[in-house]
Formats: sequence, structure tokens, C-alpha cells
Amino acid sequence: MLGSDKYNTEPSLIMHVDLNSAFASIEQQSRPLLRSKPVAIVNRRTKNTSIVAASYEAKDLGVKVGMRFEEAARLAPNLIAVESDPPKYRFVYKKLLDILNSYSPNVVMKSIDEGVIDFHNVPLEKSLVEIGYEIKKRLREEVGCAMRCNVGIAPNRFLAKTAAGLNKPDGLDVINASNLCEVYAAMQLTDLTGIAKHLKKRLNAVGIFTPLEFLDADKATLQKVVFKSIDGRKWYARLRGYEVDDRKFDVKTVGRQYVLENRNLTQKQISTRLHHLCESVGFRLRSQNKVARGVYVYVRTLDHKYWHDCRMLPMPFYSDRTINLIAQRLFLNAPEAVMEIGVRCYGVSDDNDKQLSLFSDETVREQNLVGAIDVINRRFGDRTVHSADTMMTGRFIRTKIPFGSTRYL
Amino acid sequence: MDDETYLNERIRVVATFGEGLNLCRPLRFKRPNGREYEITEIGLRHPSMKGARMLHIFDVTDGSADFRLEFDAERLTWHLTREADHVG
Repeated sequence: MLGSDKYNTEPSLIMHVDLNSAFASIEQQSRPLLRSKPVAIVNRRTKNTSIVAASYEAKDLGVKVGMRFEEAARLAPNLIAVESDPPKYRFVYKKLLDILNSYSPNVVMKSIDEGVIDFHNVPLEKSLVEIGYEIKKRLREEVGCAMRCNVGIAPNRFLAKTAAGLNKPDGLDVINASNLCEVYAAMQLTDLTGIAKHLKKRLNAVGIFTPLEFLDADKATLQKVVFKSIDGRKWYARLRGYEVDDRKFDVKTVGRQYVLENRNLTQKQISTRLHHLCESVGFRLRSQNKVARGVYVYVRTLDHKYWHDCRMLPMPFYSDRTINLIAQRLFLNAPEAVMEIGVRCYGVSDDNDKQLSLFSDETVREQNLVGAIDVINRRFGDRTVHSADTMMTGRFIRTKIPFGSTRYL
Repeated sequence: MDDETYLNERIRVVATFGEGLNLCRPLRFKRPNGREYEITEIGLRHPSMKGARMLHIFDVTDGSADFRLEFDAERLTWHLTREADHVG
């Protein structure tokens, strides 16, 4: 109903479920002695590491996600750093998915710790509020007593997510046409999902400083002046509770990045780590039955400069060898004083073009070899067979938490 | 920093197999040094694959320390792999 001036008065049939401080809560669940203590989840056991999640006890002391552990430990001297444990988080993710799937066939996990249930066309025996409380109860019973979640119920995905963020932790809130303005009145612009510093500046430039002013803005201003695209119309509808975010995104890129463990590595050592990333990206690409057409390599330097280069090939590819060959060639032109490296395959499509095998014997041999290596690695464990070049890199580069995406879970 | 110690000790375990959230419940275990521990709570049990081999990981506590016990479903062995006694 893009373009309507009224608020959406349809029943609230979208539910957003968000695990509270997910990784920290899961650690507190699995290690009972950590409960009621300030806990920070980190990806490495060093003082220089960044915090990827914090328990509510840590947040109460001022610890924030993204903060360096050393800085956080000054705020909270008793802060306990726990190294992230992805298999455990994947297990809880699957448990949450099972619970959500038992209420509707239309469930989409937005990330490892949040999911959306669409109740349209689902026969309901109880109200969504009752279902929300039941999900909280089941989470405690089926995962553990330390697990809590926020539930938001609304007519569209945007407002459901907003509702899920209103009363943390363990809240349950409903937003509909009757309380929409009241909710916006208590919020800042940057509290709205999707509005960060940059968009806030653009809204401020036309005199919009609060969510209520954003709601009052006319469609033409949003479309032609603020967003200068169809996004303006979408925001106009989204804010009023109309659905514009029910979209599925195809996999467009498959990539991996790594912050170097040491700032004094030689180019050769960095190149082996890049090779490791290429093997990892190749495996992920093939695990999804995809092929790619291009490789993109980037480098972030110690002085926070960003360098990147990419190359597209006429034929699709999927082997670690090809990805690495292209990436290493691109990397030859990279600057020195590297802090972070990344590689990404783009031009990704489904691997359904069996004509590839008609081109040459070499392609067929490569297909067979790569297939055999993947079978061995699946049977005996990740990186059982890999390049000799990356023999030592596994000690440093470990699989970490896949933020934002659930496609590798 | 965390006080977790990484171990790889083969242990002897008394466990029950029944119903409920945790079908398998380790109740007590004995380390090679002879010390015995009574498990007071299973924090979380999750499966983990080592290649095609399934391990069941039990994060448990005896009230004074947290432990990680790993049950290898193929070899039917138990290992103590982590210990943390943080009491802040």
C-alpha cells in the first residue's frame, strides 16, 4: 500500500524474536559460574582484541560491543573475556529456528540471533502475545534457564524489529496504528533501524530531527530531496507500518577477511594467510553449489587506508587454486604496512552449467580433484587436506562468528 | 582474561540415559589423578562434528568450577577438555 497517507491498521501478524546479548547469554548458560558476572565475548585471547558481545552485567558497567578489551577492562575490572565458540552458537541458532518454525512455515532468520515469523495465512489458536510468551518459555526450557529473548509484534517487519528493541532484556512489545506515534515520540532518529549518522545528517538538512517529524514528512520530500530514490517512498510506507521489507536476497558475494595477528609479518607470510582465506572462500562457495566470475582483494593498512583491486574472468570458476591465483596476482600491487586482508568472490551464480566439463580435460581433472578434496574434508574435518603453503596458518585463522548472515550456519 | 584451561584427559564418567531436555546426563566423573567430581548442573549440551564423527559436548559445573566434557559417540569415550574456576 505504498503511497497511502494513513497508518496500516491491519492486524499485527509479524513477530520479531531477538536473543538478548546472544553470545554472552549462551556462554552464561553453558558455564553457570559466569552467570550474574560481567562477561565479554572476544575472538582472540589478547588484550588488544575487540569485544564482539557483552553480557548485560558488563553493559551496565559501560562495556560496549566493538570496544577494545583493554579499554573495557578499565571500566569493568572484573570483566571476564571468553573466547567465542561458534559451534555452540550454531546449536542455539538451530534450536531457536526449530522453535520459530513450529509456529509458521514462514520464518526467516535475519542473523544468528534473530528471526522473523510471518503469521499471515497461518491459522491461529492463540494470540500473538500469548505465542510470544510461549516462545520465551520454550527457549528457557529447551535451551536453558539463562536464555532470554525480546519479542516484537507489529504489522510489518520494520516495526516488529523496533518493538523487539523497546524493552531489553526479556521484553515483549506490540506496535500498531494505535500506539505508533507514542512509540516514535520516545525515540531518536538513530534509534530507527537503518538510520545511522549519514542518513540522519540528510534528514536534519531538511529540518527532520525526530522520528515524529520523519513520520510527518511528505512523500515527495523524502523521495526527491532526502533519499533521491525509491527509498524515500519505502521509508514513507515503512514508518506507517506497511510492508516493504519482505524480500529475499540472493547470494551475490562469498568472502572472508582476517586481521593479521602480528604487524611485523613479511609479504610472504601475509601471502600464505591470503591463500588460507582463498581456500576458505572456495570451500564456502562450493558448499553452496555456486560458481564465481570475479575475485576482489582488499587491504587495510596500519594508517587506516584502504586499498582494493579486482578481476573478472570470462569463465566461471570455483576451485581454491583459481581463486588463489587471481588473488595473489592482485595482491602483488598491494601497499605495505598491512593490518587486515580480505578476499571476496563476486559474480556468483548457481553451479548448474555442466557444460564446463566439455571445455577441456584439465577442467574435468580439476573438478574431480576439488570434489575429492571436499569429500575428504567433510568426512574427516575441515582442512584435513589443504595446500602445503597454508600448513601453519590454521593456528591463527580460525572460523569465527558469521555476523549478519546465516548462510554458512 | 578468561581463566579457562585447555585439557585432553580421558576420564571415567557415570551417566544416565533417559528422558527430558538432556537425554544423556553425566552425573559424576573421575580424573586420571583420582579426583572425583559431582556434577550439579548441565549448562548446555551441544553436538559438534569432527569430520563425520559426532562429539557431544557437555558444559557442566560442580558448583566450584565449570568443566567441558566431550563424549565421542563413535568411540564411546569421555574426555575432559576444559576447566575454569573463575569465582570473581
